[in-house]
Amino acid sequence: MLNNIFLKTLRDQRRSLLMWGAYLIVLGVIMALFYPTISKMTAFNQYLSQLPEGMKEMFGTGIIDYTTPSGYFSTELFSLMVPLLLLVFGIGFGANTIAGEEEKGTLGFLLTNPVPRWRVVADKFSVLVVSIFVLGFLFWAGLAVTASAMSINISILKLAEATIGACALALVFAAVAFLAGCVKGSKGTSMGVASGLAVLTYLLNTLGGLVNWLKDYRFLSPFYHYMEPDTLNNGLSPVHLLVLLGLVIIFFAFSIPAFIRRDIAR
Amino acid sequence: MNNDVVINTTKITKYYGTQLGIEDVNLVVKCGEVFGYLGPNGAGKTTTIRILLDFIRPTGGSAAVFGLDARQSSVAIHRRVGYLNGELELYNDLTGEELLKYLGNLRGGLDWKYVQELAARFQCELPRRVQGLSMGNKQKLGLLQAFMHKPELLILDEPTNGLDPLMQHEFYDLLTETKKEGRTIFLSSHILPEVEKVCDRVGIIRQGKLITVETIESLKSHSVRKLEIHFAAPVPKEKFINIPGVRDIIVRDNLLTCTVVGSLDALVKTAARFEVVNIISHEPSLEDIFMTYYNGGKNNAE
Repeated sequence: MLNNIFLKTLRDQRRSLLMWGAYLIVLGVIMALFYPTISKMTAFNQYLSQLPEGMKEMFGTGIIDYTTPSGYFSTELFSLMVPLLLLVFGIGFGANTIAGEEEKGTLGFLLTNPVPRWRVVADKFSVLVVSIFVLGFLFWAGLAVTASAMSINISILKLAEATIGACALALVFAAVAFLAGCVKGSKGTSMGVASGLAVLTYLLNTLGGLVNWLKDYRFLSPFYHYMEPDTLNNGLSPVHLLVLLGLVIIFFAFSIPAFIRRDIAR
Repeated sequence: MNNDVVINTTKITKYYGTQLGIEDVNLVVKCGEVFGYLGPNGAGKTTTIRILLDFIRPTGGSAAVFGLDARQSSVAIHRRVGYLNGELELYNDLTGEELLKYLGNLRGGLDWKYVQELAARFQCELPRRVQGLSMGNKQKLGLLQAFMHKPELLILDEPTNGLDPLMQHEFYDLLTETKKEGRTIFLSSHILPEVEKVCDRVGIIRQGKLITVETIESLKSHSVRKLEIHFAAPVPKEKFINIPGVRDIIVRDNLLTCTVVGSLDALVKTAARFEVVNIISHEPSLEDIFMTYYNGGKNNAE
């Protein structure tokens, strides 16, 4: 595990990945286990269907229907919980891997070696991408296996597609944190910038569903490109997915010159 | 570019915002020499070194190592340099062995036998985790990683930090061997005796400016020493007044104190005419040396 920067970075993440992976598996398993019970709670479901539009919009699709598996999973998992968890992990990692190591002083030590700076950035970013997709896979595996075992009527392929969408969304903000770390070298600032941007664009998307004049700006929010296709029902929309991945690539592309150009703090 | 020049800086200047790091530093370090970079903390030693290694970029001027531009060819330079950071931070969760092997992998392989040899010399316990190591033991790992790939140039920032006298001695021996092999050493220090002991030439930096570069002999020849001579009986002050290089003479009964620039010879010969009980010489402090350069001629004229 100490052959190169990629493997070393992955190794540094191993405890964190194990823990997050375990949480996400448990989350998927539990939500699937509870589906049969909740889908039969008719009074509760009637209440949900009568919620005001604004409330429903907050849950993403504008429809809350716990009587179908896709309605249940999209509200309970994909509209907020899963992207949020992946986002928290991704932002933390994105801010830590360059800026955090720089604050600790080990980044300067690493750069003493005959390794170009772009290589450090590329290796660390690759680990970020791999980690998020590994976590997404673990979550999906727990969910899909349990759903199949319980004969819940949902396509595990669609579950996979929705999970990929959530990973792509999380990567956007993780890449923001990573880029901010490459620009400034401050872990706190990176986390602040990325989380702030996530909250603002989340609000833009939800409020955009309610407020008319905001509607035209919803496309600026990554959350819009994640929610809008209603992936669990329709599958991934290539266009929206490309927008998210495009943003990730752009942020990554800016990270390299930003990190090459500046002074390393320690 | 001359082949036997290893480090060459041209008027490198670094400002951190408005704060001065270093200004117009011109350094030439030749192949095979041990060059001491002497200055108090915060004088700009580390700033200079970090520019040589391309961690930071100069506000003005340029630096070359092995004739290669420090900015353009940093990777090629790093391949041939062993560097010990003054503020050493290692990966805490690795053992010494894992750490050195990782660095070796980044360098494309290591002569592990040589690493073990070095580890034995410095009594490094490689199986131990970095986390639990004392400062001195971390410093030893730092030295190992700087020397382990037998680099042509060693850049060592305060290398004896935290080392006990025995290990310091081992380190000086290693420096001597390295020099014998024709490799070059650039070491920064704020300890004058250390620099006098191991270096061929010294550059003195203070408040970001390189004050002087000279050989150790010439440094010693106008080094300033405070001397106390205890006599068996009171001595007449007049006998000591006109000795060249001796100043600030105070005579109180049996005790004479003075400041001597350069050779002690004339003073000792004069003192020998009386019965001497004890001579106490205080090693010149860095500040004393700086004062000689700053007030230079003035003091001598007095």
